[in-house]
Amino acid sequence: MTDAARGRADDPTIQPAELIEDAALAWHAVGDAESWPGTVAFLDGTQRSEVVGYAGSAPIVVGDIGVAVRERTDRQLRTVLAEHRRVAIARADALKRAGDALEGLASIALPDGLPPHPVRDLNAASHALDRARGALEAEVGGRYRAELAGWLVVDGSLSDSPAWAADERTAGIAKSHAALPFDGEELERYLRLPYGHRSSVFAPCSRRVAPVRAWALRLWPWEGKDLFHGLIRVEVAPANGTPEMADRICRWLLAERAPVSTPDPRWDRLLYGIHSVEQYLRASR
Amino acid sequence: MEATPAVGRVVATELKPSTPHQFYFWTARESPVGIGAIVRVDAPGRVVYGVVVDAAAYSDLATPMHAVIGADGDPAAAGAEPSERAEIRLYLASVLRQTPEEPLQPVPLGTVALASDADVVLALRMDGYTVGDRATGVPVGVYAVGGHESPVYLDCDFLLGPEAAHLNISGVSGLATKTSAVEFLLSSIFQTFPAHKGSVAAVCFNVKGPDLCFLDQPGAVSEADAHLYERMGLTPRPFESVRYFAPHKPDGVNLNTLRTHEALSANTEPLVWGLREVLDFAEVVMNKDDVDAKADAFIDFLAERIVGREYHDEQLRGKPFSVQSFADLEEFFRAIFDFMEAMGRGGEVWKTHHIATIRKVRNRLSNISTRSKGLVTDDGSSNDLPWGSFTDRSVQVVDVAGLDPLAQDLVFARVVSKLREHLERRDLGVDHVVVFVDELNKYAPADGPDTYVRKMLLDLSERGRYLGLVLFSAQQFRSQVQRRVVGNAATSVYGRMDMDELATPGYATLSPATKIKLGTLPKGELMLRHPHFTQPIFVRFPKPAVMTGREGVERYPPAHELPFADAVARQLRALDRRVGAGAVQALVDGRREDDVRRALAATRRARPDDAMAYVTAALGRRVAAEVPGRRHGIPSIRPVPDDDPYGP
Repeated sequence: MTDAARGRADDPTIQPAELIEDAALAWHAVGDAESWPGTVAFLDGTQRSEVVGYAGSAPIVVGDIGVAVRERTDRQLRTVLAEHRRVAIARADALKRAGDALEGLASIALPDGLPPHPVRDLNAASHALDRARGALEAEVGGRYRAELAGWLVVDGSLSDSPAWAADERTAGIAKSHAALPFDGEELERYLRLPYGHRSSVFAPCSRRVAPVRAWALRLWPWEGKDLFHGLIRVEVAPANGTPEMADRICRWLLAERAPVSTPDPRWDRLLYGIHSVEQYLRASR
Repeated sequence: MEATPAVGRVVATELKPSTPHQFYFWTARESPVGIGAIVRVDAPGRVVYGVVVDAAAYSDLATPMHAVIGADGDPAAAGAEPSERAEIRLYLASVLRQTPEEPLQPVPLGTVALASDADVVLALRMDGYTVGDRATGVPVGVYAVGGHESPVYLDCDFLLGPEAAHLNISGVSGLATKTSAVEFLLSSIFQTFPAHKGSVAAVCFNVKGPDLCFLDQPGAVSEADAHLYERMGLTPRPFESVRYFAPHKPDGVNLNTLRTHEALSANTEPLVWGLREVLDFAEVVMNKDDVDAKADAFIDFLAERIVGREYHDEQLRGKPFSVQSFADLEEFFRAIFDFMEAMGRGGEVWKTHHIATIRKVRNRLSNISTRSKGLVTDDGSSNDLPWGSFTDRSVQVVDVAGLDPLAQDLVFARVVSKLREHLERRDLGVDHVVVFVDELNKYAPADGPDTYVRKMLLDLSERGRYLGLVLFSAQQFRSQVQRRVVGNAATSVYGRMDMDELATPGYATLSPATKIKLGTLPKGELMLRHPHFTQPIFVRFPKPAVMTGREGVERYPPAHELPFADAVARQLRALDRRVGAGAVQALVDGRREDDVRRALAATRRARPDDAMAYVTAALGRRVAAEVPGRRHGIPSIRPVPDDDPYGP
């Protein structure tokens, strides 16, 4: 019923951030692309869901979530951790009425304060699946960090996991710009960031936030294309939020532009390592 | 059964499905699988054996343009990407065998492993003929992939008859190792031909250079080749019983071969035929226009009534004709022509044969003795292959490399026909004979006139297996050989091939990758087709343990053409080591060479204990020359007047 591997759905918002570097939002050329010398791992998760039935008017959704870490050594990416789960999501009453049909599946009960509404319940199930996926990503990421020492590049924001947010060898790469950190002229300056430049380092302000440092980076020239073409937001632990470290990480990420993650339509922002994890999860589902 | 680790897994999609005859599988990039590898697919209830015939590799790159974009247009930067793209090695395999064989089903999605020794035996159905008391396997090479080395056997019931027979080998000159492959296979046959199948011998035609001139001499065997021999259970050794036959040069005493070093003379004999031997194969040396019904009838008349018999015709001359040689035949023809000339008008026909027909046959036959001088003697004596006394595991090499093509055809036709005659009568001395002919495209061309030799080869390829007469043939371009001749070869072998040849329709069943492999095949590797193998198989074979032609010529350089007396002495010494050059010189000095040749031929035939005494006797008493006295004219009956202007 729903998509196969889409990202988490974020509501479009402006969440003003606090500038850490510079008095006003500025552009900084980061220099030439430069590969990271050590081991690097990429973490991503996928989700898909389908309505398997209705208890009255309340939908019962079964979701598949998968998370994997693929580590790169000598330019070769290999899966080092992978986890798949199936969960049933519905109102508690609906889960109960489904009985043995959902045996063996983990279950997530939706709040039942309001009367059943199929569309609203499906939206709620989708958000619940997002959270379950985020939790699984955090769990798998934690296992990776406990067992292995390479840099971990996570697809999305670090703010979902306080552990990641504090980890000095983890970077979050957000492709989605639903939540923007500036408004007005600063937003325009933020969105018109030139190729090979980063924005000033800032501290995102969010309800979910574990403290991180962030900046925008333009991976590909956007002129003649969309404003978001090649624009990513990088999140790191506060300890890595120095301008020097930001520049170094940006040079590394510029090097990660290639190979290009085509034919994925998000190839301008999707690092090949992350793309590889998605491919693995799709293939191994 | 020894299990080998999985190296791949079968994949099947709607566009690339598994079928009962082929399947796809993928492997790790470092896998030893390659074109020609034999693999085993294991799935519950079914085992499938296949041979890799094609391969593909591709990455997740959508279009080449994205590679350009990713590298910012700099090809050098493309290799420096921090991650390598995901890449697949996808192989296509053709099914060799399935167990169970019924019901025949598509290949299941199982694991793929390289075939072990036992798997190779099963995959190639060699289990049916390499085990048991009456095994018929003959090692032909070693299948070697990924560290595995498995002997591959041919079934001699399908190689030497009676089920099927004949072998044909194709490949470019110099790189395909055609001659080496045949030498090795003959050696393998001689070492492993099972006793219950009877005896076997070989007749090899050396058609160029010194290729087959040193089969009895040991050659160097490398360590790697020794290992291959050991793997096949064979001993690297030269042929033990080899006899060489080569015609004379036009002088009638020096041999027309590169094997003229004195150290090799013991088993090198002249091949000499007389009129009788040639007349039976007159058709070989005449083209189709020559052999019309009239000429054919006259040749039959000669063969049945004249040659080798006493023929008396008062009209021609009072004394009977005894035609034993070309010289006698010429005398006979001369008598006919004299008689017809004397007849004047009305003298165009002799015994129903028109003079034009007689002249044509006479011209063609005399042409044989001219163009085949050295092979055909005027004196009627002959020295031939040991018909009726072929021995088991013996090789007779007929060296025709130095002969005129017409004479080569004659030799080839007569030898094969004689083999056939004797095998039909079961009195050759052996049960099976392998005839090896190189340059088959010359003797059985796809195009051109339908010659006697081509017809004979076709007959041999179609019916020889019932007699035990087996053709091993070789040529550069299979497409240039008569299709039915090569088509009847149950076993086909391919060395390195020319790509143009591979583009011809005869190779349409081979995959592009197999063709590429054939086009780049290293020396010592071959592709085999055999009735038991449902797909072509690649094997390695060791260098034969005999001296190569080049080595042989260096080690045993051909003797310079000897003076007449020395050449005679050498031939006599081959019969009797005591014969001295000086004695022979004294014996032949002042004698007519034809007389000496005749005496030598008689000595060769008799093989006496004392060759010198025999040849001296055969040559006869020396007749001293007489100086004719002055002749006196006969006086005229009537005196001529002194003033007679017409007088002497």
